[in-house]
Amino acid sequence: MHAVEVGNLRRVYQARIGVFRRSIKEVVAVEDISFSVMPGELFGLLGPNGAGKTTTVKMLATLLIPSGGRACIQGYDVVRDADQVRRRIGFIFGGERGLYWRLSGIDNLRYFATLYHVDPDVVKKRIPYLLELVGLKDRGNERVEGYSRGMKQRLHVARTLLHEPEVLFLDEPTIGLDPVGARDFRQVIRNLQNENKTILLTTHYMFEADALCQRIAVINQGKIIALDTPEALKRFVRDLSVIEFEVFGVSFDVVQRLREQPFVDSVAVEDREQKQLLLVQSLRGPEAVPDLMSLLNGVHVGRVVVREPTLEDAYVRLVGGGA
Amino acid sequence: MNLLALQRNWRAILVVAEMTLRQTVMDAFILFTVLVQPLLIALLALWMLGGRGPEAAMFVVVGSGMTGLWSSLLFVSGNSINVERWSGTLETLVGVPTSLAVIVFGKNLANVTQSLISMVVSYLLAALLFGYSLQVDQPVQFAISLLLTIVAFISFGLIIAPLFVMNPSVQHWQNAMEFPVYILSGFLFPVALLPGWSTPLSYLLPPYWAARALHGTSTGGSGLNEVLFYWGMMALFSVIYLLISGHLFRRMLVKARVDATLDME
Repeated sequence: MHAVEVGNLRRVYQARIGVFRRSIKEVVAVEDISFSVMPGELFGLLGPNGAGKTTTVKMLATLLIPSGGRACIQGYDVVRDADQVRRRIGFIFGGERGLYWRLSGIDNLRYFATLYHVDPDVVKKRIPYLLELVGLKDRGNERVEGYSRGMKQRLHVARTLLHEPEVLFLDEPTIGLDPVGARDFRQVIRNLQNENKTILLTTHYMFEADALCQRIAVINQGKIIALDTPEALKRFVRDLSVIEFEVFGVSFDVVQRLREQPFVDSVAVEDREQKQLLLVQSLRGPEAVPDLMSLLNGVHVGRVVVREPTLEDAYVRLVGGGA
Repeated sequence: MNLLALQRNWRAILVVAEMTLRQTVMDAFILFTVLVQPLLIALLALWMLGGRGPEAAMFVVVGSGMTGLWSSLLFVSGNSINVERWSGTLETLVGVPTSLAVIVFGKNLANVTQSLISMVVSYLLAALLFGYSLQVDQPVQFAISLLLTIVAFISFGLIIAPLFVMNPSVQHWQNAMEFPVYILSGFLFPVALLPGWSTPLSYLLPPYWAARALHGTSTGGSGLNEVLFYWGMMALFSVIYLLISGHLFRRMLVKARVDATLDME
């Protein structure tokens, strides 16, 4: 039996528009997605903002009712058997909300343990264990309002493990964390994976998905556009090389000119403080550099690097080029 | 519901109540609702009494205490689900196996118990500032009345909280609902002084029966049969409201999960 099974899942929102002549507009957040997650698997959902990742996770966590299709957690339907599903899952949504800031970390855990029907004798042992697991052993008695963002996220992890759920939904759990906090958090996720938890992780960060996930579904505009292992997804762009140009003040016209070249697959521009990084995916590899340099005539070019494509490059190609 | 489920729900109610009290004990709005406002009402009413005797003073003490109970019910218990939504904890609460109605019951228990402070404060004011020697005439019956009042108010709170979530336009009337209930329920003066057409409205309000029972047992103005009748009415309203609230909670949760309104983000 699959830990998570999703078939033709669809979700439509109704948005009210207008002030005087009000009308209702239907917005399709999830069009038609199907996938399954094996027990003990760490499965990633990747996609740009508004792709439908959070909506999918909320439907699986019983917090939204699907408009169509079906989803089951360990064989239990997320709509019909919501109570059974809730006993078996834990979820974290990125950000600092979802905790009681005026209570201490320990009180937050005691509160949610009771609501998850954890036996009081078990709670007494489990809370210190979880606080140690997430590195909050010495801060458990402090009010949550004094916690950093990373500490709050780690307390969320402890909260979600109170009832020892078999399936975990982690929706962009490292968003807003500093690099050290994010790295520590990824270690927590690895530890959970070692405990054989089934984890569905959504993230913006490709290296995170590449480092953690066994399989990844790329979702865009409410549809799954690719689903495979990170290695197989990278093979999708193996015919390409990525040429990185460190540039200063590149104009939109120049970027557009590069995009028009037949040997250029996509061009992305990343701002790096005073400079920019121009990422060109090319079918010709290093041989394309002289031609590209001539097209960049008049632009101040710094370092040039030719490298193998990463998961991020595969993602850029899948979701439609670059900005 | 089996015994284990009952035990789990009861434990959840107590822990929710404890955590709610820990969070609200220093909340300025709640302190105003259950402490400052009833104190001002009691002060004004006791001053207006002008020494009419301890029985009238006891009426004021109980009545002003009940204003604190009602205001707390209306503004604190009424918003108990919305507050979770505003602070981003509602999704987490809906995602646990404990029913949201049980959680809100625990929150209401904390709010109603906390608002009983207003009765104690009014008593101290009458005794210490105005020099009344006050005694509850039928202490056992008064205590039972108080217990039934708590249950009736919690049940009423379980109706208005989901209503305020489902119908924001009803919530706009929240302020307008405060003083009419003080008057229609006879908190500070007998309902007999009101025009006859308003009496049926009073009968529909659980706070009216609570006020009759508490006033009657504290001043000794009601016989046992009358008190039993008031208790029966409070119990009846509590059962009816609990049944209706179960239905309202189910409807509210389905609606919120369809409309995606569990979270404000």
